[in-house]
Amino acid sequence: MKNTIRVERAIKNMTQADLAEAVSVSRQTINTIESNKYVPSTVLALKIARVFDKPLEEIFILEEGD
Amino acid sequence: MKSKFLFPYWCRYLGWGLVLLHVPLSMLGRSHGMINIMDTQPRDQGIFVGEHLFFISTTLIMSAGLFLVAFAKEKIEDEQIWQVRLDSLRWAIFINYLVLIISLVFIEDVPHMLELNLWVPLIFFIIRFRWVIWRLNQSLKREA
Repeated sequence: MKNTIRVERAIKNMTQADLAEAVSVSRQTINTIESNKYVPSTVLALKIARVFDKPLEEIFILEEGD
Repeated sequence: MKSKFLFPYWCRYLGWGLVLLHVPLSMLGRSHGMINIMDTQPRDQGIFVGEHLFFISTTLIMSAGLFLVAFAKEKIEDEQIWQVRLDSLRWAIFINYLVLIISLVFIEDVPHMLELNLWVPLIFFIIRFRWVIWRLNQSLKREA
């Protein structure tokens, strides 16, 4: 699964720390999600999507083989 | 994220304090001959004799310390920390049983095996957990 968090953050002019605070996780977690090393839970994914005011599928995208 | 069954963050420092306290205490005990690790059978029988009490109290201090360190909350508890914690626990149990089974086969020293069983899961868990968190922090620094 890949995601567009980095792009969305740039659009909203948010740092990793800002986003981390908005969804109450650590910066490490946001960082590992962005670099596709960690797959967030549904709850966290929904929270992130809510921060960006976008549907979930626009931020998290399934890849071949998932 | 609600974290049940974990000690508050400051317990980690209390835990390290207890672990550090154990070192001079047990050394003192050993130098005064209160405990002799080579003795598999205590010379005086009974639970409330000095030697056994000393051994129990130092062991308790050490294991309570390690326990507090292992199961104290992180500053920010989130789902990734939970996953790392769970993963480290799984590894610790794997390693513990591996060591246990190997020592069951090759070593006949049962009291020391008990001691090993007491430390290995906690120590391995702490090392693995801290190491993963350290690596996460490193990758964060590289990004910045």
